[in-house]
Amino acid sequence: MGNKQTIFTPEQLDAYQVQNKLNGLFYRYRDLAPQLVPLDYTDKPDVTLPYELIGSMPELKDNPFRQRIAEVFSEDGDGNMTLDDFLDMFSVLSEMAPRDLKAYYAFKIYDFNNDDYICKSDLEKTVNKLTRNELTPEEVRLVCEKVIYEADLDNDGKLSLEDFQHMIIRAPDFLSTFHIRI
Amino acid sequence: ASMSTRERIKAIQKMPETMKKKREIRSISLISFVLQSFRRFRNSLSERFHQLWLWHKTLKIIGGEFGTSVLSYFIFLKWLLSFNIFSFLINFSFITVPQFIAAEPNNLSFTGLELLTGAGYFQQTALYYGFYTNATISKTENGASYNMQLAYIFTVGMYFVICLLILLISMAKSFCRNFINPQIYSGNASKLLCTWDFNITNEKAVKLKQKNLSTQIKVQNTGDAKRFLNFSKQETLVHILIHLGVWAASLGTAVAACASVYFLSINNLKVRTDFTTSRMFLPIHTHVLLNIILKISIIGILCYYWLDIVATSKSQCWETLIGQDIYRLILVDFIFCLLGSFFGEFLRRIIGTTVFVSLGMPEFDIARNVLDLIYAQTLTWIGILFSPLLPGIQMISFFIVFYVKKVSLMKNCQPPRQVWRAAQMTTFFMLLLFFPSLTGVLAVIAVTVWRLKPSEECGPFRGLSSMFAAVSEWIKILENYTGSKWVVWIYNNLITSELFFFILSTIFLIITYLYWQIIKGRKTMVKLLRKQIVNVSSSFTFILDTKDIEKRTKFTCKTRDSLLLFVSACITLKSGCEYFNMVQCWH
Repeated sequence: MGNKQTIFTPEQLDAYQVQNKLNGLFYRYRDLAPQLVPLDYTDKPDVTLPYELIGSMPELKDNPFRQRIAEVFSEDGDGNMTLDDFLDMFSVLSEMAPRDLKAYYAFKIYDFNNDDYICKSDLEKTVNKLTRNELTPEEVRLVCEKVIYEADLDNDGKLSLEDFQHMIIRAPDFLSTFHIRI
Repeated sequence: ASMSTRERIKAIQKMPETMKKKREIRSISLISFVLQSFRRFRNSLSERFHQLWLWHKTLKIIGGEFGTSVLSYFIFLKWLLSFNIFSFLINFSFITVPQFIAAEPNNLSFTGLELLTGAGYFQQTALYYGFYTNATISKTENGASYNMQLAYIFTVGMYFVICLLILLISMAKSFCRNFINPQIYSGNASKLLCTWDFNITNEKAVKLKQKNLSTQIKVQNTGDAKRFLNFSKQETLVHILIHLGVWAASLGTAVAACASVYFLSINNLKVRTDFTTSRMFLPIHTHVLLNIILKISIIGILCYYWLDIVATSKSQCWETLIGQDIYRLILVDFIFCLLGSFFGEFLRRIIGTTVFVSLGMPEFDIARNVLDLIYAQTLTWIGILFSPLLPGIQMISFFIVFYVKKVSLMKNCQPPRQVWRAAQMTTFFMLLLFFPSLTGVLAVIAVTVWRLKPSEECGPFRGLSSMFAAVSEWIKILENYTGSKWVVWIYNNLITSELFFFILSTIFLIITYLYWQIIKGRKTMVKLLRKQIVNVSSSFTFILDTKDIEKRTKFTCKTRDSLLLFVSACITLKSGCEYFNMVQCWH
């Protein structure tokens, strides 16, 4: 247990929300590419792991939204994550993250074209990912229309962050389902 | 700047910024060095504690294959296990260990049958109330002494107070997070976007869930058309009659079961009843409710039997008899739990895959299993006063049940098809654990401690008029010491005075009423604001939106109609006035 104390400076330890899992998460990050990630992080090295390695993690490899998750949390928007991004991701997806934070990131994940609104095309892509392309385009369209009709409060044909947050209030399971155990 | 450090940290955590930015903000706003080092110490402690986390990998695998809903059962089981571990530890350290110093030798012989009946050899062991001495134990002459009576009553009392507090706090937190509001739950949108279970990491399970979701969507698309068909009067009548019939049958069986439990208890036999058939005819909530009613009535009858008949009978050591009864009940419950797993899951899978292939593999019945757990825990809680080491036995039972259920789940069950409102049901089960279960147990314990006369020849309270008399005698002794006057004052004015509890209850009711009114006001406010948003945005879309004619006509129709109505009302009024004038002129 003694050698773990030299990986991070105390200030670094302070900042992370998943404090009690920090060392465990670091070793998971390092296990993805031991030759790229150094053991000593006190001088904040600039290391980025490519998306293919992140997407191959057992917790993410079968998730239909793994690409979007990696894109949302990565600095460059392409899914290549530094340690900070990696910790961000599991911090938001942990049990202790507050509801608003989770809602914010869930909204960004479902917003495929990154225009700060979940429009019809975003919804269609979501539905197709959720059902593995098993529905006909007609059924997909019907479902998307219903969702927008139900959730769109300001009637602009697309869901803004506020509409999404309002919807989250009505789904108490959200906190427990938007959660990845590591 | 006026927020406390804790609030500041929480606010920073809530911000959707990256780690880098958060670190910068934090270093600017947090200055105190002492606070920082304290937090570091606390974090390193919690990290050490997390490494001892029990069953972490197993829970991850279960959640990965079966989703959050089935996982909630196992988490609930783990939580109940922690109650039993805590109880066993404090009972063992404060009651049993001192007793071993002043123990009498056990003259009975051990045959294997005792494990089933709880009687015989076990009767004179630390397992039961009767074993414990009423003396003040001291190892050396004039050394520190240990009053067994006070230790017994205070340990049990302290444990229940802590249990109550933990349950209250967990329930409050759960309500806060999950905000049960059944009527606004259902909605396509929330089902689609909010309930994808990110916990599922098994490829097969993911594919299955996607298939279920697409089936549900297809069904819902066609089902929407059917929803507007009205059932004919005859059909609704038949529907109601069937419902009433099944309810009557179930309640009748419940009454019969209770009566049989009562008579069989008198004849010292144990049975267990269950309600599996009603599940097929009733929706799940009614089925759960019936199960709850049955179990509550059985426990109620048993408590009445124990407290009214066994305790007042002239038998030697009635507390030990009750303890043995509870031991046997717990054992039977444990065996039936294992059998239920065997028949309900294993055999059902064999039947479902070989004989009636259309049935398929069974789903894990979360409701029934959780209710079983609550029933077992209630029995344990009742038994703590009569058998201090009972939580240890329940601990072993829960351990075995965990592994049996896990293996049965992995081998025999398929992931749930329906969306199970895990968060709401967990809150409901916790509420159930608190309200009939713990409060009922507290009532039983209160009656035992205050009203019943302990047996003359055995146990720590032998010879006293009630168990609580030990405390009142101790207070009388304390009155002679000037240093402990405050303890006597607290006892006389707070614990035994009715006025204090009356004032406490009144304050509590007032606060509850105030909060209720605040919530009502806020709900109305939310409704009004929602309407305002819709109105404002609809007027904007009317002005700006030229493409979506359908929506516009929907809203414009409404405004146009109301405008027409208003105009026509004005015209009618005007013509009415003119007519009146004309009539008046004629006269």
